Amino acid sequence: MAKTELLPELQRSAREPGPVELVIGVTGSPEMDVLRAKAPACLQGIGAKTIVAYAGDNRMNGYGSSEDNIHFASYAMPHAAGSSAFWIEIGAAQRAVLALAGAWQARACLVIHSDLAALDPDTIRLLTEPVLSGSSDLMMPVYQTGKYDALINKSLLSPFSRALYGRRVKFPLAFDFCAGASALAKLNQSDLKSANNGEPQLLWPVNAVATSGGQIGQAAVGTRHGAQTDSMDLSAVLTELAAALFKEAEACAPFWQRVRGSQPALRYGTSMVPTEDAQPIDCRPMVESFVLGSRNLEEVWRLVLPPATMLELKRLARLDVESFRMPDALWARIVYDFALAFRMRRLSRSHLLGALTPLYLGWVASYAQEVGGATTQEANHKVEELARTYEEQKPYLVSRWRWPLRVS
Amino acid sequence: MWNHIEQALHDSMSRVATKIATLLPGVLAFVAALLIFFILAWIFATLVRWLLMALKFDERVGRGTGSIAELSPRHTPTVLVTRLVYWCFVLVGVVIGLSAFEASSAEPGLAAYVLAYVPRIVGAAILLFVGTILARFLSRSMLVTAVNLNLHYARLLATGVKWMVLVLTAAMVLDHLAIAGAIVDLAFGILFGGIVLALALAVGLGSRDLVSRSLEREAIKSSETAHQEERLHHF
Repeated sequence: MAKTELLPELQRSAREPGPVELVIGVTGSPEMDVLRAKAPACLQGIGAKTIVAYAGDNRMNGYGSSEDNIHFASYAMPHAAGSSAFWIEIGAAQRAVLALAGAWQARACLVIHSDLAALDPDTIRLLTEPVLSGSSDLMMPVYQTGKYDALINKSLLSPFSRALYGRRVKFPLAFDFCAGASALAKLNQSDLKSANNGEPQLLWPVNAVATSGGQIGQAAVGTRHGAQTDSMDLSAVLTELAAALFKEAEACAPFWQRVRGSQPALRYGTSMVPTEDAQPIDCRPMVESFVLGSRNLEEVWRLVLPPATMLELKRLARLDVESFRMPDALWARIVYDFALAFRMRRLSRSHLLGALTPLYLGWVASYAQEVGGATTQEANHKVEELARTYEEQKPYLVSRWRWPLRVS
Repeated sequence: MWNHIEQALHDSMSRVATKIATLLPGVLAFVAALLIFFILAWIFATLVRWLLMALKFDERVGRGTGSIAELSPRHTPTVLVTRLVYWCFVLVGVVIGLSAFEASSAEPGLAAYVLAYVPRIVGAAILLFVGTILARFLSRSMLVTAVNLNLHYARLLATGVKWMVLVLTAAMVLDHLAIAGAIVDLAFGILFGGIVLALALAVGLGSRDLVSRSLEREAIKSSETAHQEERLHHF
């Protein structure tokens, strides 16, 4: 983990006594004009001391510039050791602002992305109020997404996290979230644990709070962060996220093996249905990628997947594009098998996760065909079904995790 | 006449028997030394493995050996150290066996000759080991990357990379062993040069139309799918 570096002014401030109600931690360097213009308007309702922390350098004003009860403070952006990966950098910045909030003994810390899309009164209210009132330890956002948005989250991050940690959170890896004092302590503790491992890791606030039995809520927010990773190579993004997810599963294995089923997260705010996209997508390129993978990566897949799954994949590769459907149970088992192979180091981790991309594209093709003519609501039902399937297949993961040689 | 022949054969047979009798203690000494060191190697390797497992060696060095694990995921640091200890003992056994052979067989210079060659054999074995692992790793990397780039000749590329590395390794091993050095250099140069020239000719002349058609197809497909991809957001 990258060490959180406090500027000298900030170190003095961190030692200053005095109650801090809320810390708003911007994970990166924002546009300062926008931050200074928007922050006071957004924080009008909060009477007590609020600190807005953002990544800056020593020439910036550090702690002390205040407007009413709002103080601006800069912190040195930590460098994720040996990593230039997008999510690792975000994770390092999130850990940094949580550490700052912990040092200031804040009642709550709202972490927001440096694009400041979440800096609007409604989002801040929805995310902070339940935490400040004590009804939730952690508030996660539910972003407005269309049926073709956030596909890695829908297919992998959210259902996997839900099945393992037993919390129905839509976006377990969000740019914005709010943690209360108890969650802060837990997150900073988990931060120390991951620091011992030596490798930079992503921050999974939901998992950390779920393992301590904390209350998690989620609020429907209107924030749209734009396509942060769309210009990146899909395989690189998928590799980074899947690696982080599987590492977290490895670290928390004693906890999630005991979890059965899942419990809903408290909902706040009203979900807004985004504009419908009724036009179907041409899935041929994705199916072709899957078939290409099936033809060429068999030697890799065979090291990871059991014979029954290989047989099903071969059957899928023979289907024509229109009838191509990947069953949810098959996809869930594939993800679990990759998590197991990741743990067992059956082959190089970069090869393993690279070999997941064609399978993921197969799932996307299947999903896109199924929801092609459906509304966003119906597509959400489909995603919910997938998450339930992950839960149903969890005994398969637990059994193979405990006795890896039994099935393969 | 026949008596002379018989006498000559008898003399040569007795010389051969004498030679074998002279060599036999040396051979026995060599085999005994080798056997003892095989047993010692096994005992020490087992001890080292137990010790490293008790010290949780794999977990302790795990964070620092990412590259080893990437190249050879099934070989844990413990296995690698254990094997190293085992083969070191075997090597020492061979050296001591040769010395014993020389001492007890009155064959001067043999041990010195063989010992002078041992470093080359060790070096060649290391080269072969590293080259084989590297070939497999690079081939698989190429295969996964090419498939993710939607290249239809992914397997061809991966196989090409694998054999290029293996051929290079074989040439280096033979060169290191000083076996037919000039021929290997020449053959390797011709082979590599030939491959590059063949590829250049294939792309430049023979497959010019094929390549241009393929590129055109890719360009058309990219523009067609660009709109589709804009509507899909993976994160």
